Amino acid sequence: MFFKLISRNSRRNRKENGLLFSSLLVSIIAFYIILALPRQDVMVFLQEMESVAVSKLMTLIPVFYGMALFILFFLIYYASKFQLERRRHEFGVYLMMGMRRVKLFAMLLAEDFRNSILSLAVGLPIAVLLSELVSLVTARLVGIGIVGHQVSFSLHAVWWTAMGFLLIKLTAFLLLSGRISRQEIGSLLTETPDGVKRQLPPLCYAISSLIGILCLAAAYAMAIKGSAWQGIRNMGLTVLLGLLGTFSFFWGLRFLMGLAVRSGRSDRRLHVFNFRQIQETVIHRSGALAVCSLLILSALCCFGAGVAISRFYGESEQHVLDYTFQTTENMHSGADIRQTLAEHHLDTRFSDLFEMKVGHINTSDDTRNAFRMEPVMNALRDMPSSADRDVLLNNLQFTTYPYLISLSSYNRVLTAADMPVLELGTDEAAVYIDSSFTTNGRTRILNEVFRSRPETVLDGNPLFLTGTVQTTKLVTDRTITLSFALILPDDVFERYTQGSYSVYLNGILAQDMARDTSLMSAISEMNSALDGTGLSYESYLQNMGRQLFYMVAASYITIYLAIIFLLIANTVIGVQFLMGQQKSGRRYRTLIRLGAPYRTLCRSARKQIRWYFGIPTVVAVFSSLFGVRALLTGFLSYNAKEDLPEMMLVSAAMILALCVIEYIYVAAVKHSSDRYLLSLIVPEREE
Amino acid sequence: MGSSGSGKSTLLNCIATVIHPGSGSITMNGRQVQALKGAALADYRGKEIGYLFQNFELLDNLTGYENILLPLSLHGVPEKESRKRLEKLAAYLEIKDVLQKFPSQMSGGQKQRVAAARALILNPGIILADEPTGALDSRNAKALMEKLAGLNRNSNTTILMVTHDCNAASYCKRILFIQDGMIFHELRRSIPEESQQEFYERILKAMAQLGGGSANVL
Repeated sequence: MFFKLISRNSRRNRKENGLLFSSLLVSIIAFYIILALPRQDVMVFLQEMESVAVSKLMTLIPVFYGMALFILFFLIYYASKFQLERRRHEFGVYLMMGMRRVKLFAMLLAEDFRNSILSLAVGLPIAVLLSELVSLVTARLVGIGIVGHQVSFSLHAVWWTAMGFLLIKLTAFLLLSGRISRQEIGSLLTETPDGVKRQLPPLCYAISSLIGILCLAAAYAMAIKGSAWQGIRNMGLTVLLGLLGTFSFFWGLRFLMGLAVRSGRSDRRLHVFNFRQIQETVIHRSGALAVCSLLILSALCCFGAGVAISRFYGESEQHVLDYTFQTTENMHSGADIRQTLAEHHLDTRFSDLFEMKVGHINTSDDTRNAFRMEPVMNALRDMPSSADRDVLLNNLQFTTYPYLISLSSYNRVLTAADMPVLELGTDEAAVYIDSSFTTNGRTRILNEVFRSRPETVLDGNPLFLTGTVQTTKLVTDRTITLSFALILPDDVFERYTQGSYSVYLNGILAQDMARDTSLMSAISEMNSALDGTGLSYESYLQNMGRQLFYMVAASYITIYLAIIFLLIANTVIGVQFLMGQQKSGRRYRTLIRLGAPYRTLCRSARKQIRWYFGIPTVVAVFSSLFGVRALLTGFLSYNAKEDLPEMMLVSAAMILALCVIEYIYVAAVKHSSDRYLLSLIVPEREE
Repeated sequence: MGSSGSGKSTLLNCIATVIHPGSGSITMNGRQVQALKGAALADYRGKEIGYLFQNFELLDNLTGYENILLPLSLHGVPEKESRKRLEKLAAYLEIKDVLQKFPSQMSGGQKQRVAAARALILNPGIILADEPTGALDSRNAKALMEKLAGLNRNSNTTILMVTHDCNAASYCKRILFIQDGMIFHELRRSIPEESQQEFYERILKAMAQLGGGSANVL
């Protein structure tokens, strides 16, 4: 009989409390996905490319797992709390009939365990499938055909998922059942709304909301201006102000709610009742609401920053070159490298192989004055003041000994990139700045300066700067990145370098090579062939790998956290509303007796739900406008900050995603509430 | 009046349209109550009947004033129309000084009088009272019954009350006894010859004779 009861109860729990069951599934999936991360295709691929960075990231996985355990504990705790609260009456009856508390505890534990095992049985296959899907989708998105898909299933991940899940489930259960079992039978049998809380004069609450708003405004200002990032103290102060502001705003919110009760026409259907209900929840749960709002804010910030950062790093520079070979002690020149390639029959695999020549001004030892460009500096000083101009003025005053690039080799790069070649006279030079050292704004300013063909002095000879600033990469990845260089016609280049310069051999893979398989696998295959030749080289894979790493690391972790935060915040809000509603069931019964039709009650409850979800969400969205910007100010370099319209687009997408999630939650809670109200419509005999 | 389970509250609930009778029909002012639907039903509940509960059933998070105005907001009646009536009722029921208080700050008698004002606010044709004195001490019960009787006397408000309490019943003009869902006895107070005390004694006597159930029907 006892076991039959357990089985029947646990089945009913699953049916009646979809919220709890789905929370359980979410936790399981979240645990598994983070634990199976090292087995994902992208990670396996990155392990080869950026093994150090990836290993560092992987050592963080236990930390993330621990964090997920901690955060998801609250999700489970609240969902289970709702579950137990709604069965209070039933427990009271069991105890009244003489069931011993130990036995009640055993029964609940058995029910809980049964449901946990069932959740694992359902959740783990879903988690494995989802993880596999994520692995395939990301692999497809980033275009790796290299590794060939590996099944990401990991027994280790399954084991730790189950352990972690059971651990938090048991902890939540022990805490909750401890609380329930300590209560008197009488209080279990009656459902009473939370008692009346002692109220302070309304002025206190008004001042509290005002202080909250002021603190928040100060935190927003510090965050946006970037002063928050100037040190741990400033950051701490900003966060503290934000937290304090949010909590005191929510604590004082009852004042605004009180105003809402009094404002508006009280004869609007159940207007006063609705706002008193909302006010009550605000009074009793202002802390929880503030925490939920902060969680939603964190989710939005994580999401926004993650998407923005991954977009920034994912924005690949134009892909022109596949390989760059470097000269070494054994390979003195480009010809040596070509010969080695030919010996291994690898030269035919390239559609183009050309030398990139970069050297110093060897005709002068005076590194402080070899190159002077006063007219450029003067022209800059004459320009309207701006941050970009000041940066240029500061940086360019140190460019007295620039690198030199040969025009013909640079033109080969331009040809490969399908760009028009440069034509320079013997007394002309073009300026090269690697894209990581400039921004669109600064390039624009310099282009304007160069339009007037300013005259500079290179080793005592006049040199006119012309054309636009060149930023196309000289080599495949990072062998050389130049902050300022002059592109000179070949004979002038030879004269200044006196024939002594570095040579890099750039290679582009033949089209038919790359067409057969994906480019990535072509490069990967080539790499293994090249490893036997003793050549020193870098390939596009490294470039790609680094970008991928940033993209994957940033987007995986932030989006993962964002989703978990959102789920928890919404579950807590939803559960609290439903619990509050059940506790005030008597009020709804009175309304029914006073003649409130079912539809009016549902409308009233729905309105409360919208407000209850709306308040923390709106506060969070408002804060996130500043929060995301602050994160971007702190994390991103100047390049990314210019793309404000694009960032706005990201924010819009983010808010849309939030709306969808909120909508789903609100709809689920409304459904639960409607069902509960329907159950009240049937009159009960009260003696 | 009638013993527990005799069907008193069920009858009230049927009249209040809280539950639907399995068979038979209820006619109020010439209208079939169970045939009402939609707006007509809402109107009936809001304007033709008022309900008074044993446990007052005031919403504890609303002030007395808000509780009294609750039926207005439920049935979409503009507040202005009833403000005068509220003032009159509050004065009559002596609850003026508790209007801004929450139920937890009121005594039982005050709560029930606020509940009475709520039941009366829309000036219903009939008040359905389900053991209104059940949760009150004798002094408060007496005060409430005097107020209700006064309403009946002065405003011609019909009050249909369910009670076990012979004292409360002695304020009535007509008493129906119900058992197993059937009305089987009736007492009428002859006014003005019979005093309340005499009627009370008559009720006690009838109750004593009815005590044994249907086997002892007069």
